Amino acid sequence: MTLEVKELTGGYGQVSVLKKETFTVESGQVVGLIGLNGAGKSTTIKHIIGLLNPRGGQILIDGISLHDDVEKYRKKIAYVPEMPILYPELTLREHIDLTIMAYDLDRDKTWENANKLLKTFRLDNKLDWFPQNFSKGMKQKVMIVCAFMTDASLFIIDEPFTGLDPLAVNDLLNIVETKKKAGCSVLMSTHVLATVQNHADKFVLINHGQVRADGTLDQLKAKFNMQKDSNLDDIYLKMSNEDL
Amino acid sequence: MLKLWNERLRRHQLNQFKYLRLIFNDNFVLAFIVLIGALGFWYSNLLGTINGPIILGKPIVILLLFLAVQVGGIATLLEDPDSTFLLVKEKEFYKYFRAAKKYSVFVPIVTLMLVNFLLSAFASRAGGMKIIDIVVLAIGLIIYKLGFLNVNMMELYGQAKFGNTSMRLVSNLLLLISLIVSTYFFSWLMFIVGIIYYLYLNARTKTLETSGQLQWKYAIETENQRMFRIKRFYNLFTDVPGVNSKIKRRKWLDGLYNSIKPVNGNTYLYLFARGFVRNNEYIGLFLRLTIIQAIMLALIDSFYISLVVEMLFIYLVGFQLKPYFKEVMQNLMQRLYPISSKTKIKDFTKLSTFILLIQWIISALAVLYKFGFSINSVIIIVAGLAVLFFVNYFYMPRQLKKYLD
Repeated sequence: MTLEVKELTGGYGQVSVLKKETFTVESGQVVGLIGLNGAGKSTTIKHIIGLLNPRGGQILIDGISLHDDVEKYRKKIAYVPEMPILYPELTLREHIDLTIMAYDLDRDKTWENANKLLKTFRLDNKLDWFPQNFSKGMKQKVMIVCAFMTDASLFIIDEPFTGLDPLAVNDLLNIVETKKKAGCSVLMSTHVLATVQNHADKFVLINHGQVRADGTLDQLKAKFNMQKDSNLDDIYLKMSNEDL
Repeated sequence: MLKLWNERLRRHQLNQFKYLRLIFNDNFVLAFIVLIGALGFWYSNLLGTINGPIILGKPIVILLLFLAVQVGGIATLLEDPDSTFLLVKEKEFYKYFRAAKKYSVFVPIVTLMLVNFLLSAFASRAGGMKIIDIVVLAIGLIIYKLGFLNVNMMELYGQAKFGNTSMRLVSNLLLLISLIVSTYFFSWLMFIVGIIYYLYLNARTKTLETSGQLQWKYAIETENQRMFRIKRFYNLFTDVPGVNSKIKRRKWLDGLYNSIKPVNGNTYLYLFARGFVRNNEYIGLFLRLTIIQAIMLALIDSFYISLVVEMLFIYLVGFQLKPYFKEVMQNLMQRLYPISSKTKIKDFTKLSTFILLIQWIISALAVLYKFGFSINSVIIIVAGLAVLFFVNYFYMPRQLKKYLD
């Protein structure tokens, strides 16, 4: 699976938030999308999953765009939004069933995956609960289960670490690692730099709707003329200070 | 603080005005007129059958007046962020609430006048009451209600208590006793009790300014619930943002949709069917309208009115289902499903066809009960079916497209 974002320009309404963004996510790569509030991380993600239409440029997954084949494109993606979005009228079990139906997944195999994930996140005894009974963190776990039980090849996670307890963060990272080993790609936006530094292969730094720099930690250090022992936090601060 | 109140009131009224205009623009006005007409017709018929005072006359008057007094409370227009941002201004809120109370007298006064006016014909005929007594009673009730608004205000400060008993309970008891005595023996009693009650509570409320401690959580929750009731009412006629309705599991109704096979093509039907049954708002709407329709059809003698009721109510239920589709379409996750919009509309139409068919069958039974197996029955029932087809195969698909993205 490869995701290619080429010269992406777009945003909400008439205002272009993103200006000619270009980056790629290769097979088996975990990529961190990093930037200040309002830099354009979530907007980039919304374009990739197809909720917003680009005003210019192209987004390709394995060479096909949303326009070429909507269903094929969408089946390749699993998305975990920043704020959990659930159906108030469906129980947890029914959310899983609905996702299986919507993505036309293999019932038994997916339930097997789902059960493992539910157990990991300690939701296995809450299958008949409604979303209104879940806390914010639990809702987020439901979103993670529904995304990672699918056979998508690109996982897009928007701010996964806020609101999850440390144990769940650890579990999520393990799941990401497994998916990575299976050849899937993961794109996650986050502000928790220490965590993403240890778990991502590559970083895309976004500032004012543009890709300021991308690459591995070492490549970034070279680009920003940083010392050998500097970390992602230092690079991030340096990038933010460039505006001043 | 008064400035804040005036600003909020202006915004609130603008909002109300917006919704009222939406309601009265709608086809619902027609239904409303028919409903009022039918009820008026029924009421005058009922009055015609009463020839002298009946035993139940006065109890019914007492009950209806008692219920009418319960209508309307203090509208505080508090908002959730107030408990954070305006916490420091707590002492000054007394003036704000005074203004709120002044504004809140309008709804109860109009309600009581209207109810008393409509009830007067029944009260004099079935209850054998004199018109002067009814007028005095009405004035007494209004004064009493103005006093009762102070109880609402004291509740905001958690001080609506006589010793340990709730002031609301004591007040209602007092109201009931005064109502009974006034209707049966001496109508001026309600008037006298009302004035004393009003003066006493007004005096007690004044102490809140210095010694009151505002119960923020209670006050804001009460206001939210009040707003929710208003919005839910408007929501019957038009789309109101931010009305979240209650969800119930209703496991015993699972059988209704167990036959929907869990395959890709049924994804949305699976979702819509469960949502409709479990969301109180939509199933409640369907039940209310279907029951009102069935009762009206079973009571009304006129062929033409029945015809209009049959067609209009089927159309209305179909019309009121649209917001549910809109609500689901606003869910971000479902927009990512690899499923075409055509399927979404098709699945929703399946649900609405099923719902309207149930309604149609119930209404048909009511028509048969009233008109028997006659040509009139057939015309009404077939007209209902025609509306059902119109709604599902012509109206719905066009309207639903608007909500897709």
